[in-house]
Amino acid sequence: MNDIQFLLFSLVSTVVGWLFIAVLPSDKKSVVNSLFVFINALLLSIPAIHVINGNEINYIFRNVGFFGDIPLRIDALSAWFILIINFTSLTGAIYGIGYMKQYSVQTKNLTLHWIEYLLFQISMVWVCIVQNSLVFLVIWEVMSLSSLLLVIFEHQNIKTLKAGLNYLVQMHIGVAFITVAFLWVYIAQGTMDFVAIKDFFAVNSNIWLFLLFFIGFGIKAGFIPLHSWLPHAHPAAPSHVSGVMSGVIVKVGIYGIFRVVTYLQSDFVILGESMLVLSLFTGLFGIINSAMHRDFKKMLAYCTVENIGIIGSGIGLGLIGIGTDSNVLTVLGFSSALLHVLNHSLFKSLLFFSAGSVYQQTHTRDMEQLGGLIKKMPQTALIFLFGAIAIGGLPPFNGFVSEFILYSGFFKGLWSQDLYLTFLMIFAIGSLAFIGGISIFTFTKSFGVIFLGSPRNQLHIEPVEVPFHMRLPQYIIIAVMLSIGIFPVFYITKVMAIISTTFPAVNLSFLNYDFSIFTAISSIGIYALLFIIVIIAILIVRKVVENKKVAVSSATWGCGYVAPNVAMQYTGKSFSKTLGKLLSFIVFEKKKYNELKPNEIFPEARRHSALYTDFVEFRIIDKTLNRLLYFMDLFQFIQNGSLQRYILYGLIFIILIFFGTYLSII
Amino acid sequence: MLSFVLIILVSFVFTGIVIRTKSLASGRKGPGVFQPMKDILRLFKKGAVYSETTSIIFQIAPSIYFASIIMAILVLPFGHYKGIISFSYDFVFFAYVLAMGKFFNIISALDTGSSFEGMGASREALFSMLAEPAFFILMGSLALLTGHTSFQEIFMTFHFGSYTSYAIGTLATFVLIIICMIENSRMPIDDPKTHLELTMMHEVMILDNSGFDLGLILHGTNMKFALYGALIANLFMGNLPLYYSIPLFIFIQSLFAVVVGLLESFSARFRMSHNAQFILVLSSVSLLVFFSVLMVMGKFN
Repeated sequence: MNDIQFLLFSLVSTVVGWLFIAVLPSDKKSVVNSLFVFINALLLSIPAIHVINGNEINYIFRNVGFFGDIPLRIDALSAWFILIINFTSLTGAIYGIGYMKQYSVQTKNLTLHWIEYLLFQISMVWVCIVQNSLVFLVIWEVMSLSSLLLVIFEHQNIKTLKAGLNYLVQMHIGVAFITVAFLWVYIAQGTMDFVAIKDFFAVNSNIWLFLLFFIGFGIKAGFIPLHSWLPHAHPAAPSHVSGVMSGVIVKVGIYGIFRVVTYLQSDFVILGESMLVLSLFTGLFGIINSAMHRDFKKMLAYCTVENIGIIGSGIGLGLIGIGTDSNVLTVLGFSSALLHVLNHSLFKSLLFFSAGSVYQQTHTRDMEQLGGLIKKMPQTALIFLFGAIAIGGLPPFNGFVSEFILYSGFFKGLWSQDLYLTFLMIFAIGSLAFIGGISIFTFTKSFGVIFLGSPRNQLHIEPVEVPFHMRLPQYIIIAVMLSIGIFPVFYITKVMAIISTTFPAVNLSFLNYDFSIFTAISSIGIYALLFIIVIIAILIVRKVVENKKVAVSSATWGCGYVAPNVAMQYTGKSFSKTLGKLLSFIVFEKKKYNELKPNEIFPEARRHSALYTDFVEFRIIDKTLNRLLYFMDLFQFIQNGSLQRYILYGLIFIILIFFGTYLSII
Repeated sequence: MLSFVLIILVSFVFTGIVIRTKSLASGRKGPGVFQPMKDILRLFKKGAVYSETTSIIFQIAPSIYFASIIMAILVLPFGHYKGIISFSYDFVFFAYVLAMGKFFNIISALDTGSSFEGMGASREALFSMLAEPAFFILMGSLALLTGHTSFQEIFMTFHFGSYTSYAIGTLATFVLIIICMIENSRMPIDDPKTHLELTMMHEVMILDNSGFDLGLILHGTNMKFALYGALIANLFMGNLPLYYSIPLFIFIQSLFAVVVGLLESFSARFRMSHNAQFILVLSSVSLLVFFSVLMVMGKFN
């Protein structure tokens, strides 16, 4: 089979997969789904691997009816995303087998769920293949809708449904922007092939069209202030879906932005600078909110926003590099972005999966209800810990590699000719350091509160470790993560090859005489390994020393207090309270309580609750919407429910049309 | 290699000098400079008590913390002699490896399920997080000034500059001293001698550690002091020949220890709620270094 046949065959296998999922009993559906996800992943990854090795695919279906020519193109950029999507979808599907077991009675719901899952995977991949704007939009829509149906699996829950609606509406605002952008290109150039975007950019201002695309794809990716669907949709979805959505569907948004970036012809510096600044704010905003929330899936969702910020800063830096003819900046910026796309898809899906295991066992997403889970679920705890270290960008894991490259890009950018750029870079360095700091804060808190200490609440059912087939995909992810952390050069050479084919203008020859970047990247791999060895050596010494002694067990030191209980443990809320107070201009604490009345001699039992609200969502979006609603309400008299009036409206409309045509106004 | 050996050697007496200075300043004779090291050796020999609440994290965390500090020391150069590890942007690795140790330190405090240790963990996480930008902005400025991107190249070239580089060096020293005080939770951020758990940071985090682990943590602190002392010394050593630079190194480290002792003797601890502001001010001092670098380079013309 040639590559095109592989691609087309994936469509056939999807349909066959649907049939199997539909007819098999409910406990087999998930297994069949993973099987077909695996087949699809194979069918779609083989061409992608060919492309990465240097044979681009460019095939055009001529004159397909209304659509015109449909080009199927896989360049190295698409191939990179296709591989990432396939990997995460596959691990998600395998994890989902165990995760969805608890719902096995809902046969019809499960059928729909797994059918949508297959569709979801295939549509995400095809978004990266098709380069005809109309077909692209159709597949894009299929992707959004299938993910919507995946999110609202528990549609009986009103909150889930609400989150789903929110997602649906926001995705369509995004589609509206993308559609307008494509229409603009179509009207100006007369073709729906993506190449037309390049021609459009060559003759028109780049800023406005890019802005349209950026808003459209940015909603998917979750740049502020377009991120507000993420913290709702991710907690509502089943965990394997949140993992895949956070791991890859937001990356499809990044793919869209990257694709448009490859077509840009001018205005690089201004676009790069704006993108860099916006991304840094996205990163800061995401991680600050993430530090506050007690719902651990919401915490992870905000953390996705942060990582999108990091990826975006890489793209921004790359654009600045193109604009200032600095190949180093371009390569460092884009390669950090591409590598972070991979890294984030790995550790974020890992974290969502392990968080899902916790949710499955405890049925709560509120970390303040948990604690001490490391004793009940030691492997899940370890998996979450690895994910937390990686996402904090700490060596020896993969997160450090991409952040290191981004840092080196920013430091290189300090020597820009333009003073303004130097300032921007020092701002970027400071922000990135701050983001790194808060993410360590966030994940020590989350890991500590969920897994360490003693249980804060008596759970109805004692949690136990999840079965092996749920842990297996997570171990595979950890293995890949470690391979990036320890052998970064392998991945970085691949990424640089992608950049050199995707951006032919970028000259990689500087790498031949400036080895420092490659040396640095290979060094961090070697020294990450050395770090692990040093840790193991110290642990062995400790073991030898400790073996001679008797270890005594006793209660935690309570400063002389003899009756400590679990409620006295430090909570996540108090852990992050100081930071919340410090940043109270971004994260608002909303408290709900009843004041003690003066004549209330014997106070009744009362509740006190506090939650943090999203600045953008509550201060900007909701406020604007309320204004809009108020204005719309003024016209409510038109829609008054009386049929006679509606007929009258119709009559008036017809008369208007009649006179309009008669007087030839219309 | 040289820097590694010297830093380890200095770390044996650093806290001793600090304590001696404090004793002398308060009119006492005080213990000998090797006393802290003797305490640590005694801890290494002692058995440990583990809380029933704790898990494996509590057992491995001190070792990882210690390993992270060793890794960070390996990065440091000695004047124009490279550290054992040296590559472009090694200071990013330096900062992140230290953060890794801190990560484990914090979660090991949370592992005890104590009502106090979480508090210390929260404060330590917050304050060291706020100090991160200051370090990176400082390194960025020095890199910009010297045109190099690794510790060794930066420090080697830094010395060659004009007298202004000494002025910048002084500001940088100030920033590094304060970062060191924050990282080690000493005055004026935290008072290691306070007796109330509610007002502690670092001390309250390690309340439950004992025996070998506590020894590792305590010696980790000593090494961290020596580590930052070495960074400061490097600002002034440049490419002096060894027979000058080794005495200079030891002199600067002792001076640093004396300064820490004096600082701890004559300053009061800040109110906890003001710490955050103070640390943020540190970032602005770093920015000041950045601006002076830009001025020296004539970028404002």
